[in-house]
Amino acid sequence: MVKMEKQRITLQVNGEVHEVYAFPNMTLLEVLREELHLTGAKESCGQGACGACTVLLDGLPVRSCLLLAREAEGRQVVTIEGLASGGKLHPIQEAFIEHHAIQCGFCAPGMILTAKALLDRTPDPTEGEIRRALAGNICRCTGYVKIVEAIKAAAAKEK
Amino acid sequence: MRLPPFHYLAPRTHAEALEMMRRYRGKVRICAGGTDVMNLLRLRLLTPSYVMSLKGVAGLTGIKRRRGDFAIAAGTTLRDVEEAPEIRLSLPGVAQSAGLVAAPPIRNVATIGGNLLQDTRCLFYNQSELVREAAAPCLKQGGRVCAAVKGSKRCFSVYQGDMAPSLIAFGARAVLKRKGGGRTVPVEALFSGRGTRPLFLGDDEMLTHIIIPIPKGVYGSSYQKLRLRTGLEYPLISSAVFIGVSKKGEIDRARVVIGAAGPAPIVDGEAAASLIGRRPEEVNPEEAADHAGSIARPVDNLAMAGQYRKKMAKVFTKRAIEAALAALGKAGASW
Repeated sequence: MVKMEKQRITLQVNGEVHEVYAFPNMTLLEVLREELHLTGAKESCGQGACGACTVLLDGLPVRSCLLLAREAEGRQVVTIEGLASGGKLHPIQEAFIEHHAIQCGFCAPGMILTAKALLDRTPDPTEGEIRRALAGNICRCTGYVKIVEAIKAAAAKEK
Repeated sequence: MRLPPFHYLAPRTHAEALEMMRRYRGKVRICAGGTDVMNLLRLRLLTPSYVMSLKGVAGLTGIKRRRGDFAIAAGTTLRDVEEAPEIRLSLPGVAQSAGLVAAPPIRNVATIGGNLLQDTRCLFYNQSELVREAAAPCLKQGGRVCAAVKGSKRCFSVYQGDMAPSLIAFGARAVLKRKGGGRTVPVEALFSGRGTRPLFLGDDEMLTHIIIPIPKGVYGSSYQKLRLRTGLEYPLISSAVFIGVSKKGEIDRARVVIGAAGPAPIVDGEAAASLIGRRPEEVNPEEAADHAGSIARPVDNLAMAGQYRKKMAKVFTKRAIEAALAALGKAGASW
């Protein structure tokens, strides 16, 4: 059996630098939730299939359950907690509320971050582009129509 | 579920990485993008003492166009392969394959090298310890009989990589390095055809580049993939087709490669030969795909029945031939 020791890991999360001591086998999701107490990213399938653990890594959505925390060193991590600024929700978050795109809310952080990455690169996406971008995120309440509508509305508002 | 314990290695150079591979030979696993290896670790299908990250190794990412070919570094993400304008233009089937792997968030970190060198999979093998322990170990777990084909002494686990079929169709070669040496082999030569140990890959070897020749003249290609959910899934059967046309207007080069039908991609020489010498408009894709349907012999060890996947081997090969013919002389990938 391998005897591991905790290592210092420096992470940049939501614009702040954090130093944590964690075992090398810890995923980014585990460090975010257990060490930094950022519980917006969720563990659901634990195998990269559902998208509930999505965070942005250098602006792109990734599965934090499939990424060792050490692999995120030196890169910019954004979680759902980092989206609102100055006490004001991000326009995509507001659009999700307005369009009832949140049911149980479990998939919402992943959906919203995936949508943010899409709109950052493609400010005026077609419905097909939205659906393709969200293809890796599962909503078990099956509220996809509202989610797509919310993203379209957020894009329209930003125009 | 927590990952098993391991030590984390972070080499900074090729030489350091190769030295670590030699020093910890057999006890180290490479983590490039990690999307595949993390799941194998979590299921305890891999329990290495060391996990070596390639994140800090310089020169392991990027696409270089050289005289007559592309050199894609093994650590290049599938997103970068999918989106690179020069790959979409010159190697459309390769870009298409990259764009059909899993879902966008996976492709943002998963690498072309990791996709190529993935292990074979099986419904009876890729399960948690709890599920695996409920039955006798299968051949791939070191047991004596196959769990998918009862009583068989042969492992039927399936190679489900999306990149390999298209890379083989384009005649790609893999550059492998080890401390003090290396070798360059055609991608198809990496596959042993044995489910228990599907890759001819030394414990101390590291894939560094994939070299893909740029075909000359007029050509078309396509990759078609059967999966349950468009957004995310390994292929349940797939087909990659490359077709080249001579100045006389006849097909003079063709490759048909079937994926996810067994422990290795199947190069269907007969289907390819049936295309050669014909004018594109004379090809009957259904007839040309017949042979692919007959040599693919999938069994009931993935999410769809073997018999159905066998039928789909023909259907998806037909579609790939049709799409490759339609793409002849047209630049760029679309899917």
